[in-house]
Amino acid sequence: MSFFVQGVGAVTPLAATAEQTWDELLRGTEAMRQPLPKGFGDRSYYYSAVPPKFTATAGRQPRLRRSGEISLLGVTAGLAALADAGISSDEASQGAVVFAIACGGVVYTRRFYHEVITEGANVASPLLFPETVYNAPASHLAALLKINGRDYTLVGDSSVGLSALHFASQLLALDPALPFCVVVGVEEADWVLADGFAAWRMASNRTWFPVFGAKQGTILAESAASVVLSRSGSLRLLSTSAGLPFFSQREAPDVLAKVVAEACDKQKPAGILCSANGTFADRAEETVFRSALGTVPVYAHKPAIGDSLGASALLQLVLAKFALTQQKLPPTLHTGDRLQTVTREVTEIRGNEILITSVGFNQQVNAALVASA
Amino acid sequence: MSPNSKVQRVLITGFGIVSPLGGDNAENLNSLRNGVDCVSPVTAFDVSKTRCRTAGQVPNEWLKEPMTRKNQRLDRSSLMMLQATREAIRTAGHVVPQLMVISTSSGGMFNGERFYRSLIESRPRAGAARAVANYMAQKPVLDVQEKFGWRIPSQIISNACASGTNAVGHAFQLVRAGLYESVICGGYDPLSELVFTGFDSLQAATPEKIRPFDRDRDGLVLGEGAAVLVLESEHAAAVRQASALAEIVGYGISTDNYHLTQPDPSGIGPKLAMERALADAGLDPTSIDYVNAHGTATVFNDATEGIAISELMPGVPISSTKSMMGHALGGAGAIEAVFSLLAIMHQFLPPNINFRQPEPNWSFRVVGNREESAKVRRVASNSFGFGGANATLILQAA
Repeated sequence: MSFFVQGVGAVTPLAATAEQTWDELLRGTEAMRQPLPKGFGDRSYYYSAVPPKFTATAGRQPRLRRSGEISLLGVTAGLAALADAGISSDEASQGAVVFAIACGGVVYTRRFYHEVITEGANVASPLLFPETVYNAPASHLAALLKINGRDYTLVGDSSVGLSALHFASQLLALDPALPFCVVVGVEEADWVLADGFAAWRMASNRTWFPVFGAKQGTILAESAASVVLSRSGSLRLLSTSAGLPFFSQREAPDVLAKVVAEACDKQKPAGILCSANGTFADRAEETVFRSALGTVPVYAHKPAIGDSLGASALLQLVLAKFALTQQKLPPTLHTGDRLQTVTREVTEIRGNEILITSVGFNQQVNAALVASA
Repeated sequence: MSPNSKVQRVLITGFGIVSPLGGDNAENLNSLRNGVDCVSPVTAFDVSKTRCRTAGQVPNEWLKEPMTRKNQRLDRSSLMMLQATREAIRTAGHVVPQLMVISTSSGGMFNGERFYRSLIESRPRAGAARAVANYMAQKPVLDVQEKFGWRIPSQIISNACASGTNAVGHAFQLVRAGLYESVICGGYDPLSELVFTGFDSLQAATPEKIRPFDRDRDGLVLGEGAAVLVLESEHAAAVRQASALAEIVGYGISTDNYHLTQPDPSGIGPKLAMERALADAGLDPTSIDYVNAHGTATVFNDATEGIAISELMPGVPISSTKSMMGHALGGAGAIEAVFSLLAIMHQFLPPNINFRQPEPNWSFRVVGNREESAKVRRVASNSFGFGGANATLILQAA
């Protein structure tokens, strides 16, 4: 049973659409970095924000008038993917929604809890709390689409997007009458989230970070990416999985190697869209790419956009569609010298398959292989 | 990914539970049968400014993992999941699962709270990395896998309070379709200050006793816990000569788009979930012997579930086991699947305690205050949550 990407959508700090984001990446554009609103102590972090005008249409929906940024981003990307797939609003109600989220509505969560402990539980806002729940963004999109059936939210680390893709393919396999799943990965950013990454020594305090070089940590970004998964389309899923865990960072390369071997099944892809983000993830990926996929060109989008956690793996899938269509990969920004096959300029690829890899920040790895249909 | 053309029977071959009713399966069964009220004053955080000040809580001393240096790093969610999984494996025998499908609603929120408090109070950063690691919803699942020597895929579903039923239901569908032979499924949620205060801020929590389906109900109390089920295909169970404790035969899911936190008053959301579960099982509503209701005891939730059950299954006996332990949110569906399993295994109807008077317009029968012996062949277990998430499981005697 084969499943296909019928449509894609994205909203990123670089652009309001998936296609424009791809064009900016090809041009080597780096998203603007701005300081996260100040938190505590003297620590400061940068992030890449999505300009409010990119999500303004979603924000005009009555259902979303009190919702957080994460819902606006998720709905924007989901609706864009449905439009790209040519699915009308009448048809949309027949589908399913699957969201992938790593940290969820951290801005409202932080605001609500701050009220609880600084002003007292008796004055905490009942308007904020419901939007802190992981499945709030998915429920908003399901409501706008009038879906009364399957609506799931999967949580995990930055590899969760590929897990959600696999989950959606399971839903399609389980029910031949289900026409499509709209799969959305989404994340927002907050100073506390960046400080959490800093506690793991995984946050950069500069305005840029290198990949496949010195481990400097990553920079967070807001983003959402979405695909409509169905039984026909321009991009075929050759392999997906629910991923595998690693129990220490030392194990990550071996586990990734296993997942990649299963995904590729002895095929050599034309290109790799990887998850390198300036942390231990780079080491795991470069080890596997060097040993198993020697000459295959590798592209990392995170130095340009930032690490959008739960959105990032699905964003890689969205970019894979353009890479295969145009047979090229963008230049990877701020590249170190540890991996020679990483793209340093726009790089032509020859072939029909792209490997997507994701080494999550919290013990999960995953991979998927896709091809032009 | 292709389902087998031959539908597999899906057997429950093991289960484990930690809840306010008890630290193991036997204690849970005993408290469930005796209608023990396990709701008590909250001790984990300050509740002096909330209306509701009680919850169903799992005492730390029930979490019996040996305190090795590594175990000291595990948080309560991981300890509850470990204990529930250990019970499940003990009852199932030697099983090698291929997948874990686990639910949670708040994940490691209390670790996030600890981290945030340390920031506000300018405390040293020691312990911050661990708090952040344990904040992640998948961490207890990974801790379980590491302890049991598994390295298998996991899927963490977070559909608010319906999550547990979604996790068991999705696992059931995967095994039935032949995509997996053996799956560990279930859910967990620990009590946390943020979520406790959140429900209080919505005035959904009661300062009084929790009275599901009572005419004078006025809100929920929260609970916590973890429950795990071992699901196997009939073939896999036969190969290792495992006994079937019961089977799962149906799963239904619906989404109610009425409001983020309020159910459609017509009851269409719960009704669709139950109808779909029955259709999935190929069963008539009259074949259900007992409904383990979602029954949070809020005015609106019980009203909509009451309408739906009245329309679909008039006369059926129902109870909300949340009356004894509160609402364990993302863990509730898994916990209540275990309670439904126990009702089938031991042929009784669990009581709905603190019950005084029914609503006059409901056509079902609330199993009030005491357990009842009964022939229980099929049970429907309901879970409904924020975002209009609704799910129903149907369990059947093997």
